[in-house]
Amino acid sequence: MYQVASGPDDGELARRIVTAGARRDADAEAELCRRFAPRIRLYGLRHLRNDAAAADLVQDVLLMTLEKLRTGVVREFDKLASFILGTCRQTVIDGRRSGGRRERILETFAPTLDSATEDSDTALDSGRLESCLENLPERERSVLVMTFYDDRPADEVGAALGLSPGNVRVIRHRGIERLRRCVEEQTS
Amino acid sequence: MSGLPCPSPIPEAELTAYWLGELEDSDAADVEQHVFGCSHCSSQLQLLVRLGVGIRQVASEGTVHAVLTPAFVRQMQNNGLQVREYRLRPGTSVACTIAPDDDLVVSHLHAEFAGVERLDLIFEDPDSGAQLRMKDLAFDRTADEIVLASNTRYLRELGTATRRVRLLAVQEGGERELGTYTFNHSRYRSGSGA
Repeated sequence: MYQVASGPDDGELARRIVTAGARRDADAEAELCRRFAPRIRLYGLRHLRNDAAAADLVQDVLLMTLEKLRTGVVREFDKLASFILGTCRQTVIDGRRSGGRRERILETFAPTLDSATEDSDTALDSGRLESCLENLPERERSVLVMTFYDDRPADEVGAALGLSPGNVRVIRHRGIERLRRCVEEQTS
Repeated sequence: MSGLPCPSPIPEAELTAYWLGELEDSDAADVEQHVFGCSHCSSQLQLLVRLGVGIRQVASEGTVHAVLTPAFVRQMQNNGLQVREYRLRPGTSVACTIAPDDDLVVSHLHAEFAGVERLDLIFEDPDSGAQLRMKDLAFDRTADEIVLASNTRYLRELGTATRRVRLLAVQEGGERELGTYTFNHSRYRSGSGA
């Protein structure tokens, strides 16, 4: 249904890392980590619902990706994003770690990973968010709080508030838009 | 890639549905595949997640007022939050406070909601006459109460004071009062039991 996005320079990035091999192209590796670390983390949060587990996933998947690029296992450079997503899925399914091997790879790539994961999820200013939440219409505030306090779907929130799931989605959508605009306005 | 706009951006409502697990597996996989290769859409999803995390934090600290449900309050208690609760029938009053350890203060306002189309709440200071009207609350018509979570920052700054809450059923042609509830607030004193 949605067009599969593929970065035009993802392939070039992969090519640089593969070409450098053991000599390592540190800039390309750092850019790959910077670009994909937030996406891997989102995937981890979505599927594992745990900050620490998501952080581990970022490290594991980036380590595996860099190693497979360096050793020439990845051949379809233009499908780098798909390869990394597949690695995320497999890692979550496996749910296991590869002990000593992971430690060895981590030693090699630690500096690259450290710089990639910094500032990947800067928190919003809570005072600003409070003020924006206070200014929402009552229904929107109730629905957003009850939705995001524990990431609850519309049918559960609707059942609690006596609203249909469709109605909750409409209120939720309006609330998010209003909140987003308010936070962005106050930021700028 | 990073700075390029997305040719087919995923709407916010779809990203939210994906995040909350509302999509069919195949649709969720499509969204995931797109987001993974798209800087723009992954940034949008990241902003949504940040908003969600921020809302959770504000709710956990009780620094926003909101109408909730009894089950939701129990869930917060199960998550370890210290919740101070007051229960009032129409026409009654309560001596209330907020303790240093309280994360949240909620009031269960009982009333008869059957047949109510729209519910408003007026929060007033009887001394000054100042009023704040909360319009069109989310409520369950089959329940016999609404749960009002007060802003803990406001309560901590409030000295000895009386505040009154009125629940109003609003319908075409006018409104009728469902109940008035009086809160006699004082600063917390250890062992006061207020």
